Amino acid sequence: MKINPVYKKELRIGVRTIKTALIILGYNGLLALFGLFAFYATFEYGSRYGGTVNYAKVLELYAIIAAVEFGLVLFTVPALTAGSISGEREKQTLDILLTSKLTPMQVILGKLASSISIMILLAFSSLPIISLVFSIGGVTFLDLLEFMALIIITAIYIGSIGIFFSCLFKKTTAATVSTYGALLFLTLGTFFIIAAIVILKDMKAAALVTQTDYIRKSPDAGYWILILLVNPAMTCFSMIENQIGTGSRLVTFLREFGVTSDWIESNWFFISAAIQGVLSLIFIYFSSRLLNPLKEKRRFKKKD
Amino acid sequence: MLQIRNLTKKYGKFTALDNLNLTIDQGQIFGFVGPNGAGKTTTMKIVAGLLRPDSGQVYLDGIEQKEHIKEFKERIGYMPDFFGVYDNLKAKEYMEFYASIYGIEGEQSRKLSLELMDLVGLSDKADSYVDSLSRGMKQRLCLARSLIHNPEFLILDEPASGLDPRARYDMKEIIKELNKRGKTILISSHILPELAQMCTNIGIIENGKMMVTGTVEEIMTTRGTASPLVMRFVNGQEKAIEILKENELVDNITIRDNSVSILFKGNEEEEAMLLTDMIKNGAYVNYFSREESDLESLFIQITGHTEQDTGEA
Repeated sequence: MKINPVYKKELRIGVRTIKTALIILGYNGLLALFGLFAFYATFEYGSRYGGTVNYAKVLELYAIIAAVEFGLVLFTVPALTAGSISGEREKQTLDILLTSKLTPMQVILGKLASSISIMILLAFSSLPIISLVFSIGGVTFLDLLEFMALIIITAIYIGSIGIFFSCLFKKTTAATVSTYGALLFLTLGTFFIIAAIVILKDMKAAALVTQTDYIRKSPDAGYWILILLVNPAMTCFSMIENQIGTGSRLVTFLREFGVTSDWIESNWFFISAAIQGVLSLIFIYFSSRLLNPLKEKRRFKKKD
Repeated sequence: MLQIRNLTKKYGKFTALDNLNLTIDQGQIFGFVGPNGAGKTTTMKIVAGLLRPDSGQVYLDGIEQKEHIKEFKERIGYMPDFFGVYDNLKAKEYMEFYASIYGIEGEQSRKLSLELMDLVGLSDKADSYVDSLSRGMKQRLCLARSLIHNPEFLILDEPASGLDPRARYDMKEIIKELNKRGKTILISSHILPELAQMCTNIGIIENGKMMVTGTVEEIMTTRGTASPLVMRFVNGQEKAIEILKENELVDNITIRDNSVSILFKGNEEEEAMLLTDMIKNGAYVNYFSREESDLESLFIQITGHTEQDTGEA
């Protein structure tokens, strides 16, 4: 099998830098800190001062570790991808790549694959810490595999956005800020949209009550709730909820603030993963178009 | 053979290339000369597939660039005027990375990389990290890199810029050697005497238009009439200047110490008539000749720029 040359080169350069080693150290260090703290709080602290350990709640230890690891993925991927193309441009190595036989799509895929490889390396290196949860049971190996799949899907999703901005902007700083901005919009902005719709509807309902005096129904965001399907944090939440058996919290939330169906509620993880996969493909496609010097395009750049 | 037809490129209101036409035959070393902003690098980037022209076509051996970009790129080796290198990559790994892009892997890749590094005199630097090499070495490595897929046509944008005289000489010898091996080369430089020594043909570009193309000899001959006519007088210089001022074929008169230099648009017969006229009117002429033109003065005549003005376009 022929390996993408850009991917091979990126890995070779990557493993030689101290940066990669420091990312692995920082990532696992933080994860271990949270994991051990949660472990201590659940067992040692709980039994010493409460006299009991609530074994029904210890699965939340897994939820905490998984959520922290997922948060670290969200935080790390933009840093790995936002400079991938703009960095080549800044180093003046991009022109040479683009005059070679490589297509812009191959360059993009090589860069994305190398970033995902680092995320997979981080995820696998964290398995011993995640395995803390095996000591208490309740989480299967399949659950861990599902979690690894989520990390890869999210790395591709956020990574494709990072690469898109890296192609769009000439400077790495602008690309990084934009990628983190997009991430903020996806994770928090989507909730704000739902909240804004609910508040506006509530204000309208309050006005109607005054005028017609009919009984108010608490408002929801209707089908706008489905915007949360693009929110990677919601995807992670739905997976953890399913795995630790508290899925009703997601259903309650969705029903209270929007209109969905049973099918969407029970398949939220897979639907959102599929939608994010499609969005990744769209971002990758547009990135390759932006990178193609012979295609007509507009790129944002700072005026000199 | 490279053919550029009616190439136009605008950056906003600025016209970088204005209906540019150019033909480079197989086996030529074509020197591309022009002042800063004339359109040299823009032309080279378009030919290398790095820029989209607003209009016009580029053909290499009859292959149209836009329609067959992959085949086109396989035939071209490009060395930009400014380029970077990857940190943490050894010279041989740098070469092997580009070899792998063209599907050359394993032992074949290692052998080819070392051969090309040997060609550019870098075989002893194969295990050195690229970012530790000197500028001249990086230039040569980049040239070796551009040869990795054995292209027939090389585009070298200011390959000798920033190099010391020794490194410049080495680069020139390598380019000559590549030409002997059958490569057609398009090279830009503002170091004009070097281009004259190395190139079989030159083209002078100004404001995105090709002003003149041909072999160095052809251009010297056809443009020779534009070279200044220099004359010296033992006596009667003032009278001679009066005659020169009255002559409609005289454009410009410069008086330097004992000599008078003029731009004369006439042919050889008219030159003889001018000389006779001055002598008849009492001027004692002891020197009367066209100044021998070199590439630099030719360049100045055509573009109105001095060598120091020129740079990257």
